[in-house]
Amino acid sequence: MGRRRLTPYLLLLPGGLWLLVFFAIPMAIMLSVSLQKGSLDTGYQLTWNFGIYPAVIGEFWEQFVRSAVYALTTTALAMLIGYPMAYTIAFHGGRLKTALLFVVILPFFVSFVIRTLNWRMVLSDNGIVFGTLKDAGMLDQSFHFLATPASVIFGLTYNFLPFMILPLYVALEKIDRRLIEAATDLYASRLQAFWRITFTLSLPGVVAGSLLTFIPAIGDFINAEVIGAGSPQVQMIGNIIQFKYINANDYPAAAALSFVLVIGVTILVAAYSRAVGTERLTT
Amino acid sequence: MPDDGRIERAIARALGPRGRMSRRSFLRQSGRGALIAGSALTLQSILAACGIRPGGSTAASPGGPAASDATGALEWANWPLYIDIDDDGNYPSLVAFTEQTGVEVNYTEAIGDNADFFGTIRQDLQAGNPTGWDVITPGGWVIERMARLGFLEELDHSQLPNWTANAADYAKGLWFDPENKYSLWWQGGITGIAYDPELTGREITTFDDLLDPAFAEVAGAFSDMRDMFGLTLLSLGVEPENATVDDVTRARDKLLEANARNQFRGYYGNEYYDALAAGDLAISVAWSGDITQMQLNDNENVRFVVPADGGMRWNDNFAIPKGAARIGGAHELLNYYYGVDGATTLSEYIGYFTPVDGVQEEILARAQAYRDEGSTDDADYNEILAPTVVPTEEQLANTFNDKQLTEEEEAEWNDLWLEVSS
Repeated sequence: MGRRRLTPYLLLLPGGLWLLVFFAIPMAIMLSVSLQKGSLDTGYQLTWNFGIYPAVIGEFWEQFVRSAVYALTTTALAMLIGYPMAYTIAFHGGRLKTALLFVVILPFFVSFVIRTLNWRMVLSDNGIVFGTLKDAGMLDQSFHFLATPASVIFGLTYNFLPFMILPLYVALEKIDRRLIEAATDLYASRLQAFWRITFTLSLPGVVAGSLLTFIPAIGDFINAEVIGAGSPQVQMIGNIIQFKYINANDYPAAAALSFVLVIGVTILVAAYSRAVGTERLTT
Repeated sequence: MPDDGRIERAIARALGPRGRMSRRSFLRQSGRGALIAGSALTLQSILAACGIRPGGSTAASPGGPAASDATGALEWANWPLYIDIDDDGNYPSLVAFTEQTGVEVNYTEAIGDNADFFGTIRQDLQAGNPTGWDVITPGGWVIERMARLGFLEELDHSQLPNWTANAADYAKGLWFDPENKYSLWWQGGITGIAYDPELTGREITTFDDLLDPAFAEVAGAFSDMRDMFGLTLLSLGVEPENATVDDVTRARDKLLEANARNQFRGYYGNEYYDALAAGDLAISVAWSGDITQMQLNDNENVRFVVPADGGMRWNDNFAIPKGAARIGGAHELLNYYYGVDGATTLSEYIGYFTPVDGVQEEILARAQAYRDEGSTDDADYNEILAPTVVPTEEQLANTFNDKQLTEEEEAEWNDLWLEVSS
């Protein structure tokens, strides 16, 4: 009997250990580093310097807000682009389903960084896209796209789109088609049937997709650096954290910024899950 | 009214290889992606920080290392794209070194950033443990700090006859190590301004030209704090070595003013190169060696100038970290790269300032040999390259060193810099 009662805990053990070693302990270390003072030469001592939190938020709130705006825009765009794609593959993919899904994940065969670097070449002022449009007289010669906020959002959307499509596909795929049939039999218009049956049943995918897009996007620093050319207009919080860690060796500030980001994302995600209602989604 | 030819040219420009595709430029271009990936993200440094050594390559060899040395290959940490490399991914100058001396070298591109690299070896050094490296090639201020903290082995000059015989005057006795007790110059260059005269429409002579509102959004800046503040301070008439925090605050204000009108398209790392070569930037802060390469391979219009108000001088340096296991082999390596032959093979590929007298002449001699063999391209390449591997009197007179920053100053400068760059 005792053995049976222990089973759930034993099953939780690997996951729990994982969380402890790779999440809880690093978070505790980060919290501790953020409250230390010192330098590379002299070493760091824990001084419970809580003042660093208001200080870094005061100094970098702009980059926090910018990151949130970019990540939200990215999520919305990825949803707009990804939903029709996932829908088409799931409902009209037919025999090509597997091939189409393969095409969606194909870019992952090449490193994220290399793909981003290549976009920079494609989107350069006189590159294949804008150079051609300029030479055709459709764009002003001085037009540029790289290093603008739009270009960074473009890069983010491109890079995280598959993370939106795949969970949406999974959710749409398993919808029982007879439910839609039943809805139309009961005189629902196609739009009503989509909205009340298909979309509602795909909500778990919507939530999973938006979290998988939003969370990595808000902490991203590659797109702002590579496609955004490190322009001050597009610096995200990830770029600041990178500078603080790697260039300035200001570990406490970097740790504090990271901690604020983690907490901020947690709050946003919790609010979102609450609003959408996760309890409905697990069924 | 665009004509068809222009569209075709635009497509060719976008899809075709940039510039003349010589053997070297191909290698360099294919390597550049790795360079950008490596240094922009400092992946190598992240790996190094985790205690995982990024993969290097070993030059196979007969024979063995010096008797007193530990067994195994000499471990050399260098920056990316900072050595000669052939089609098969071998390093010709290192292969020759191993043939001559029997010392194997494990060459690793482990330095993506000075501060970061120092951070990865500091703890071992402080604890008195070996770092695993036998030879490192960081910038000047790292040498100064490591020497001050007792983290470097003293060099034995009796084992460095080539240095005594061939080291150029400008490469000896630098501010961070006046007697070359701990370090020898590896390669160096100048941070100045590069521009495409067709795009700027005029000649560029000063740092303030870079801030000309006419170049708003087509000017490029660096993400490197020391380079950017250095050039800005010089434009304010302050020598960086004497700069106070007040001076740097003024430099910050000057750059913020430029930011207010979007003067700079971006604050670039190595990737300014592609933007400038492609014409996205008309003018940019630049490293001298890069522009030599750009003229030879990617865009012959682009010119490099040392601003009239001064440019920044820098170089990277061989040094042996305390506790290195193969000090004998390390000396052999240093001595080898001060031989004209090895130094020339290196310079033919990377085009920075060499510290070795006679390299310029040897490059020209090899040009003649290529011409005699009928390799006109290689001969032309060498002839254009030759004058750029040695700094001119003028360049030396008008370039300045970084300030040796205390930790406190460095933190203050970094904070001011972050206001400019974000």
